[in-house]
Formats: sequence, C-alpha cells, structure tokens
Amino acid sequence: MEPCTSDDVVRLNRRAMLQRLGTTGVLVALWPARAWTMSEAVQQAMHQRIGTRTPQPHGMTLRLPPLAETGNSVPLTVAVDSAMTPDDHVLRIHVFVEGNPEPVAATYHLGRRAGKAVISTQMRLARSQTVLALAEMHDGSVRSVTADIVVTLGACVEES
Amino acid sequence: MRTDTPTINRRSFIIGTAAVSGGLALGLRIPLGGEVAHAQDSAPEVTAWVVIRPDDTVVVRIARSEMGQGTLTGLAQMVAEELECDWAKVTTEYPTPGESVKRKRVWGDFSTGGSRGIRTSHDYVRKGGATARTMLIQAAADAWGVPASECKAANSVITHQPSGRTVTYGKVASAAAKLTPPADVVLKDPQDWKLIGKPLKRLDTINKLTGAQVYGADLKLPGMLNATIKDCPVFGGKVKSFETTKVQGMPGVRHVLQVGDSAVAVVADTWWQAKTALDALPVVWDEGPNAMVSSATIAELLQTGLGADQAFVANQNGDVKTAMAGATKQVDAVYAYPFLNHAPMEPMNATARYTAERCEVWTPTQNGEAAFAATMEASGLPADKCEVYKIHIGGGFGRRGAAHDYVTQAVLIAKQIPGTPVKLLWSREEDMTHGRYHPVTQCRLVGAFDASNNLTGLHMRISGQSILSAVRPEALQQGRDPLVFQGLNPSGEFALGYSVPNLLIDHAMRNTHVPPGFWRGVNINQNAIYLECFIDELAHAAGQDALEFRRKLMSKHPKHLAVLNAVAERAGWGTPAPQGVYRGLAQMMSFNSYVAACAEISVIDGNKVKVHRIVGATDPGYAVNPAQIERQIAGSFVYGLSALFMQECTVKDGRIVQENFHTFDSMRIAQMPKVESIIMPSGGFWGGIGEPTICVAAPAVLNAFFNATGRRIRSFPLKHHGIQLV
Repeated sequence: MEPCTSDDVVRLNRRAMLQRLGTTGVLVALWPARAWTMSEAVQQAMHQRIGTRTPQPHGMTLRLPPLAETGNSVPLTVAVDSAMTPDDHVLRIHVFVEGNPEPVAATYHLGRRAGKAVISTQMRLARSQTVLALAEMHDGSVRSVTADIVVTLGACVEES
Repeated sequence: MRTDTPTINRRSFIIGTAAVSGGLALGLRIPLGGEVAHAQDSAPEVTAWVVIRPDDTVVVRIARSEMGQGTLTGLAQMVAEELECDWAKVTTEYPTPGESVKRKRVWGDFSTGGSRGIRTSHDYVRKGGATARTMLIQAAADAWGVPASECKAANSVITHQPSGRTVTYGKVASAAAKLTPPADVVLKDPQDWKLIGKPLKRLDTINKLTGAQVYGADLKLPGMLNATIKDCPVFGGKVKSFETTKVQGMPGVRHVLQVGDSAVAVVADTWWQAKTALDALPVVWDEGPNAMVSSATIAELLQTGLGADQAFVANQNGDVKTAMAGATKQVDAVYAYPFLNHAPMEPMNATARYTAERCEVWTPTQNGEAAFAATMEASGLPADKCEVYKIHIGGGFGRRGAAHDYVTQAVLIAKQIPGTPVKLLWSREEDMTHGRYHPVTQCRLVGAFDASNNLTGLHMRISGQSILSAVRPEALQQGRDPLVFQGLNPSGEFALGYSVPNLLIDHAMRNTHVPPGFWRGVNINQNAIYLECFIDELAHAAGQDALEFRRKLMSKHPKHLAVLNAVAERAGWGTPAPQGVYRGLAQMMSFNSYVAACAEISVIDGNKVKVHRIVGATDPGYAVNPAQIERQIAGSFVYGLSALFMQECTVKDGRIVQENFHTFDSMRIAQMPKVESIIMPSGGFWGGIGEPTICVAAPAVLNAFFNATGRRIRSFPLKHHGIQLV
C-alpha cells in the first residue's frame, strides 16, 4: 500500500478509506500475536488518524495500573523512546479506549519545544478494557503499545 | 478488664489461619514451565481452584468474600460437586488480589455484591472442580497404565473399575498437577447433583461460635500500633487545623497525623488510648458549603422533582397523560424513604504496613481487588509491591464493596510511619456518621381507573438521589441511573411484574452531599414499598381483593405470579384469619430472583404491631444450599423490618445526626416473627439470594397494617408515627 500522508487522510471519506484498506481483517492479522481483537470503532478512529499505515509494536511504553477501584480517574503515562531532535521526533500521540462510549480518549500534538515524548494524564474509563496508544513519528512510521486494565466492580453494580 | 486477644507473629499467623477455614491467603509460587505451584504448606495445586494435601484434605480457593451470606460454603459445594471429593475434608482459602493480578485473574472476579457470588461464578468454579477431577483421574490412570475411561472418582477415591484398584486423591495430586489441564470439561446434569441443592452445614460456623474466627479488630502484628480517625463531620469539608501539643503527652500517644485533606488520626499503643486522645484533640474544620444542609432542605429539594418536567424514563407504554385525563377515578399518593446506614456490627477497619518497597494491607472487604487498587493508589507503589490479605467480614451489606475509604486512610497513616504496622479501627460514632448511605427518595404515584374499575394508567415518579452519579458516574447512561429502577424495568433481572395499559415510570434526579452507597437490596427496598403499598391502595379504591387485583395485572408475568400465589396459598389468603390477625401481600423481582411475602400481624391499641408470621417464597432458578437460603430469607427480614420500624439517618448542619444504636435501633429476638420459607427453584436461570427477599417484608407488613387499622403510612420509619414493633 502506498504511504498515506495526514492530508490524504483528511480528504478521504470513510468509504474510500475502507476500500483502500481492503478487509478490516488484514490489519488485525498484522497485529502482534496477542489475544486482542481491536474493536471496529477503534479501527475506524485509528484509520482516520493514521490512514493505511501499519503500527509497529516497539519503542514506546504505556503505564496503566492493572486494577482501578473505580474507572472515574485512572492515571496513565505514555512514553515514546525518542531523542526529540529534528532528526528523530514524535509528532503526535493518540490514546484509544475501546470500552468507552467514545473510542478516542486524546491526541497529543508535540511541538518543537517538547523535550521528551512523555505524556501523563488522568482518564475516565467506563469498564475493564485494553487501552491502545499510537505514536506518529517524524518519518511517517507509527509505533504502538497496549495495556489492559481491570476496573473493579463495586458491590451491587452489574458488569456493563 | 483485659480481654485476651491472640498475639501471634506474622509468619505463624499467616500459616496458622490457613488451617482455619476461610482464613488468610497463603503465598503461592507461580508455575513456570513444568514446575508445580504449591501452597505455602507445600501441598500441590491441581488447578488454581483446588489444592490437595497428602492427607486428602481439599483446599478450595474462593475469590468472593464471605460476610455471613454463606457464599463461601455455596461456592465450595459447587467445586466439590464436580471434584467428587469427600465433603468432610473440604476447607477453603482466599487467594490474594496480588496473586490474582500476577496470574491474570485466574480466579475471576473478586467482587461480592449484587447477590452475584454464586450466580455469576457457578459455571467457572464448577469447571475448576471438574478439570481437577479429570486430571486426578488421568494421573491415577497413568500410574496404573490403564485408560482413564475405565476409572471413576467418588469421595476423593479413584477406582479402576475392571480391577477394583483404588487410590486416594492425596496420593496422585502431585502427579496430577504436572498434567496439562483438559481444554474442555463436561459438567454434571443438575439431576445428578449430590452436594449442590443439599442443606449442608456451613464451613465457617464453628469458628464463629468458638471465637476462633479472626476479625479485623482481633489482628495483632509484631510492633503494631493502633489508630482511630475523625473525618470532617460535614461531608465535603476539610481539616483547617489541629493542636497536637494538647494531646501528645497523653498516655500511649505516638503520633497525631493529618490524613488526606479531611481527616485527623491519633496513633497510640492501644486503641482506647488513641480514641481518648482523639476525643480530646482540638480540631478546627473548614466545613464547606454543605454545612447548611438539613433533612428539611433535602426534603424540599426532593419535592421539586415530584412534579418536574424533566425526568429520566425507565419503563413506559401507551399514553399515561391521556389515560389520566380520561380517568373516571384517580388515586394519588406521595411516599418518602429516608437515608439508612449499613450499621454492620464490625466498624470499618484496615491494618496497613508501608515501606518504600512494599505496602501490605489486612482488611475485611467485599472486593479484594478494589481494596488492592485502593492500596496501590494510596501508597503510590506498583502492583508487584502491594498486597491485600482478606479477613472475614463482620457484616458487609454493601458498605465494604464499593468504598474503600478505610483502606486509603490506613495506608495514608502507615505511609507517615514507614515500617510500623498500624491498625486503623473506626469508632461506632465515626462509622455511623461516615457511611455510604442508602439514598433518600420520595415517590409520587398516580393511578387511573375507568368506569368499570379497571386500572388504565399508572405513573410512578421517583424523585431523589442516584447512587451511580456519586460512585460510578461512568456507568450512567446519558445521565440516567439505571439502578434507580430496580424492580420496575420492562425486562431483565429487575423486571416489573405487572402489565398496565398506560404506564410511565420515571426519575427526577436530585442528588445531595450525603455520599450514597449500596445498602442491602439497594433500590428495591423503597421501590417495593412504593409499588406494593400503592397497588394495595389501588385495589382498595377499586373495591377489590389485593390478591385478585394483582393477578389481573400479572397474566404476562408467570414467575412473579407463581411466588405470589405460593405465599398466598400457604398463608391461607382468602380464608378467615384467626381473630385479630390481618394479612398483607407483596412481590418483586430483583437480582434475577422472583420473591413474594405474606405477613400476618396483629395491632394492639392501634399502634403496637406484633408480626406473627411471614411466609416468604423465592424462585432463584437453582437452589445451591436450601438451609442457607432459609437463613438468608429470615435474616433479610430482620434487616428490612428493623429499617421499616426503627431506622433513619437524618441531616442537621450538614452532618448525620444518628451516632450510635440508641438512635438507630434494630429488632430483638422477641420481636422476630416466625418465618416460613418456600424455596421453589424453577430451573433454567440463576438468581441471587442475598438481597431479593429483603424488600417484600416491609410492604407486606404495611399492607397488613392498613387492613388492621385503616391507616396508610407513607413515610418511614414507623416510629415517627408512634408505631412500635412488639
């Protein structure tokens, strides 16, 4: 598949996007061998942002506690292994949350003065899920990392 | 008088209590490659669920928490059923949440609430037992060099049927543990059950009777100090200042600490020294904006919701407005239900020890994983540096499930005195005033009749507090709290048992600063009173018998109707009651079980109520331990009737007023009615036991009270109306 710039992404509508991708199954097959299937909502949101580029699972970490007492406010840190120089830097970090009503939690744009490619925040998570982070690099490549979190059920609340 | 509390060092404590059924978790080594996982006493783990000792003792791992509801025994019964072991040799232990995280939650959910313990784990715990049995048989077969299909297991003994050779589980457990677990196992047909469905004695009763049971308050660790705490009396307020110098010289006082931004604790050699010093400590609170809130201002707030235009809808069909407009007769009533405290016999407590390398907590909790998450957050340490050890609970009822404020506090205290274990135990007053309260609501119900006295419309408007808004806002559905409508939904586990041609059930959310929580039964307590008392009002207005009136609305709800008919028949509804005895009915579906009750009461001098008998029926799909179900039914009636007659938490100057049992009483044995239980599992689904029955006693008694006196009571508790339970 030919490389896709972010300008191209903006211009393509969803139908054209899926046509360029072929079956959605292809992207999942390229995913690292772990028992996780990306939800359709996350797939779509991901394509809208990185087009047809294939993320590679390396060079970044996602720190999330394995358990949260409630999903109300969960600390999260994404760190990308990059010197943040003109020759090697991160353009954007995306965080996807498949178990939330909205699949995209945040996109961080890192400018020239961002000395480190590290973001920390607090997120609201609706339920136990796999969180996905992507890093768009200066050379058009995309890195990825995932982490699982269990949001413990308070007594008397059913799993939604 | 000095009371003797067990003094044990940490290591022997952990091993010792493992021998006491349901005691603390043992450390486990994780299996790597072919290595076998062992419990701390070296007995091999056949599967994560089952450890078998050489003497054939079976240790069943239980993730859920026992709090008197019998789930520990019920789950063990289910594992043992498939395991085909000798029940007399079964004991249990709690795996720790830390091990659960390391082993990718091999024991599933730890959360114990929502009457879910049995019904959401029965499948996988039975599979855990069946898998272990299959491996044990295979190990014996391998040792004998025979096909496993020729071997059969029963009572912890494997027999090779053609030759008659036998071997006990204890002898093959190690070999079994090395085998690869089968990918799939077939579970027994319910009609072949030998343990499930039997009224077996509980595994935890003996220790509770002899005093051997260790509770949080009994815990003693080497070098441990004792702490007690005061959080700002007004919810949402903060600590401004406190004068340590005034108490630091008092006997035994070691530390006076701020905990978070809203609490102050004293740490001393003994609990009483800590409490005495804390009571003497001058504290200035910044009470915040909620200091002006009172029960009166809350009631005004709720009233605005009764007629409000905006409300969240749960259940509607037809057109209620038109039905009301065209009604020949309308019945209109407003009910109100107060805040309640769980008031467990054991106040909130947790023991914590913190260093930069490790944070450990010992606590009674309904959810070991939530306690673990709270420990990680409060300590700031990652999962592999934290651990929580579950202790048996002295009363949960929902208080110890969703909120782990006491764990957070204990860790924050321990963090300020690294290396020293500290037991934080709340006073009764702190427990009563810093609960997670049954939410406050009012309800306006309007019923419409046509000229033939048929019910044509029903509007039920609930106005009041949402639990999820405070506890789990991410679970709201576009702002709506689905839990408000328990027992009133069109379908599902909390489905309404009536069909009305024009129906509207909605909720005007009115939240208060009083922190809400899940009180046993949650919202079915008030929903059953609102609905079942109003249905009786409608029956009365139509001049119809309360049972007949209901039956007409229940033809599409056969399971709701079945339990109602069962109690009516057993109680003799429709036949004359003894002189001075009056009956009342109620039914509701919740937590996937169908329940009903018929109460028989007498009223003396118009205001002294004697409840003679309550006939209760439940259809929970399957009944794992009928003896335990009977006790849960009776126990739930104690909780529900105590609330009805005697209990409420009121608010003055932003604070909860009721501080102890003299103003928040509960019923006594002499007041307890005879309870007859009809357990009628119809099969094909799994319903809960711990909560569903709690909601039907109160409306049944209230309906009987109307039949006895002609007085309809719509606000609670009854003591405010001069009505006593005798």
